[in-house]
Amino acid sequence: MNVLRGRLKSRWRHIAIFLSIMGPGIITANVDNDAGGITTYSVAGAHFGTSLLWAFIPIIFVLYVIQEMASRMAVVTGKGLADLIREEFGVKVTFYAMAVLVLANFGNVMAEFSGIAASADLFGMSRFLLVLFCAVFIWWLVVKGNYKSVEKVFLFACVFYVSYIFSGFITKPDWKFIAAQTLRPTFSWDHAYLVMLIGVIGTTIAPWMQFYQQASVVEKGIKMKDYAYHRLDIIVGSFVVNIVAFFIVVVCAQTLFRHGVRIETAKDAALALKPLAGNYCFLLFAFGLFNASLFAASILPLSTSYTVCEGMGWELGVDKTFKDAPQFYTLYTAIIVLGAAFVLIPRIPLVKIMLFSQVANGILLPFVLILMLRLINNKRLMGIHVNRPIYNVLVWATVIVMVVLSAMLLVLAQKSLCWR
Amino acid sequence: MATQNGSAGQDMFVFFSRMLGVGIVDADRQPLGVLWDVLIEPFGKYAKAKALVVASGRWQKKFATIGWADVEGLAPGQGQVKARRAAVSFSATPEHKAELSLRQDILDQQVVDTNHQNVIRVNDIHLLFAEKDLVVAHVDIGLRGIFRRLGYEPWVDALVRLIRPNAAYLNKPHFISWKHIQPLSINPVSMTIKVDVSQKELRDIPAPDLSEIMLDLAPRHRLALFKTLDLAARTQLFMMLEFKEQKSLLEDLDEREAVDILNHLPTDEGVDFLGALPRPVAEKIMALMETKSANRLSSLLGYASESAGGLMTTEFIWVLETATIEEALRIVKERTLKAEAIQSIFIVDGQKRLVGSTSLRRLIIAEPGDNVMKAALKKTVSIRTEDDVKKIAFLMDKYKYVALPVVNTESVLVGIITIDDIFNRLVTIAWRRARRRKDIR
Repeated sequence: MNVLRGRLKSRWRHIAIFLSIMGPGIITANVDNDAGGITTYSVAGAHFGTSLLWAFIPIIFVLYVIQEMASRMAVVTGKGLADLIREEFGVKVTFYAMAVLVLANFGNVMAEFSGIAASADLFGMSRFLLVLFCAVFIWWLVVKGNYKSVEKVFLFACVFYVSYIFSGFITKPDWKFIAAQTLRPTFSWDHAYLVMLIGVIGTTIAPWMQFYQQASVVEKGIKMKDYAYHRLDIIVGSFVVNIVAFFIVVVCAQTLFRHGVRIETAKDAALALKPLAGNYCFLLFAFGLFNASLFAASILPLSTSYTVCEGMGWELGVDKTFKDAPQFYTLYTAIIVLGAAFVLIPRIPLVKIMLFSQVANGILLPFVLILMLRLINNKRLMGIHVNRPIYNVLVWATVIVMVVLSAMLLVLAQKSLCWR
Repeated sequence: MATQNGSAGQDMFVFFSRMLGVGIVDADRQPLGVLWDVLIEPFGKYAKAKALVVASGRWQKKFATIGWADVEGLAPGQGQVKARRAAVSFSATPEHKAELSLRQDILDQQVVDTNHQNVIRVNDIHLLFAEKDLVVAHVDIGLRGIFRRLGYEPWVDALVRLIRPNAAYLNKPHFISWKHIQPLSINPVSMTIKVDVSQKELRDIPAPDLSEIMLDLAPRHRLALFKTLDLAARTQLFMMLEFKEQKSLLEDLDEREAVDILNHLPTDEGVDFLGALPRPVAEKIMALMETKSANRLSSLLGYASESAGGLMTTEFIWVLETATIEEALRIVKERTLKAEAIQSIFIVDGQKRLVGSTSLRRLIIAEPGDNVMKAALKKTVSIRTEDDVKKIAFLMDKYKYVALPVVNTESVLVGIITIDDIFNRLVTIAWRRARRRKDIR
């Protein structure tokens, strides 16, 4: 009896510690399912059915491996990624990396705001009012909140991703078939299929995530003794984000693909769902889009300004006044204001701008990954926590695959830029 | 053209970023490599260059450290060493132990500006050729330093000159004098800050400001900086931190260092810290502490944290009612170091029950031979251990006392409350009230 009680007690203790550590991994992974991600997964499901589902298994692995490295660096060095890049590789590397990061993230923020605008259309609300309201809300949330309260809001937002899982069940898929499709990779050399595959993998790992993840682990002050719990946080995050993505593909495959509906955006997907899967499914899908866009739009501008100021050595932090940290606030406000404004201007070539940001992301990612690998294998910084040889082989293989994929994505994006 | 060390006879400033990559030749004027780093002595007011590091090779770089005495000449254009190439030994990694490496420890790193008391990042280093030496004059933390490193300085300068010739960017370089710079590089053996802190101004920064500087640092540097200080300074600094940071810091220190700090903490601060911890953890820590401080703390931990018992300190000055003024003054002198409020002296009977109080001023002006009760105040106000902040504040305000005695149910004197113990609680109450009033309006 006593033994059992003791065991229960220690289990509760583990759960309590995990709950206090949890956050950075799950949040970072979930921001990944932003407006751009949802669009990609919807199109993947609508055009290729369930034939791309197998890709989520390797993605879980890749996501975990890369996130874990960022976290380990944060716990061991107590510094952000931009800090480390500046200190180890100097101003030049940092400056150009930051410049590209700002471009890439600005495009991402715009994509999020256009996601918000799209969901306004879906709910029959005014685009202008909703985007304006969200922009003000985001600005206020971060300037007036602290890390702890903001983290709680963000974790709460993660819960709403469940709406995609619900909508997946509403479409009553054939689970046996889906399981078979997931576990047995199918592959095709078809051009469109390849583009889609690269797109699905490419949206999962973005450069900004590494900066954000590392910064939030530092800010949370996670220690090596609690690292096992934090690793669980990353694992849970990697799984959850891919399960949500999986369900988005399933929903679209079950409905749109079956009826041969072609879509371009997440908004198209939601609209097409209405007659095929019913109003509930439509509402859940639309709400999921809004939640994801707002969530990512709250994190990206802040993460960008933190990273840039950290790397350039400018004062930063939401607890500083404008006078103390002018660059930080200017950048933060500018990204939100411009990101929201660009979306509201009629006839602006949004698709082109987003493709451009995708290109910027694609150029930056290999560099960031290689810099990360060089940092994490630096004995002076990491001591005994450098990568083990086997792990290094795995990570390098992952990085090479990612580099090749993003290079292919670049070529393809460039082609489509020329077409339009 | 290699000049003799300072042979030009005049002082000359040069940026470290301009010196990096300068070609170095050997005694026969054969190329040896390029300047990679300058090592400086970490002690003393002026940071003199002690050695140069020369790098050779393109892909597989090799490094040679050359003592300043073996440098024939160094100028912005070129440098020459006294030895022949064959006599210079290269190794795979640059070597520096006790010295500070400008490239690794200063450039691009965070340092503390002890003058403005903040943490800054170094964009460039301003060096001075003076007499026979090369010394560090300033660090550049301005935007111009960044443009210089990027190689855009001439263009940006020209552009700014075109638009605003008197811009601060051009005329007011953002330099911080080296004497105000406290580098943060960590000695890998002792895990403390490399530079001798006593020589620098870090010691002179008041604890509240130092604690803010600490919070701007990465945890590892935070710990190293903390470890560099002596016990008194550590305790002072510890008191300034929030509970979360206190806890995080103690977890990083080894057990002995942590317990040392807790033993040194005034009881009220100790109670605040231990009271915020889960009970079993607090008990475990108290078991490690000196019995005397642990006993005091554990008795205080029994009180509710917002009551007089939870807020009071047990370090105060008391004398027996039978003592003379002279004896009382001696006790004050003896206890001054430990007690928090020395202006209030409390008088107790044989059972330590409170019978009166007096002030230092009254003791000084009284006759040394008189009984201490002669100097006592007419009325002594006391509070009970269970009284709340509002009552304490009310009494302090009414009688204009800065310290009030706290008694238990048997009217035994158990502690005192000074105004600073309740001050932050009062501010919180007042602030909340002010906000409520504003909301109504």
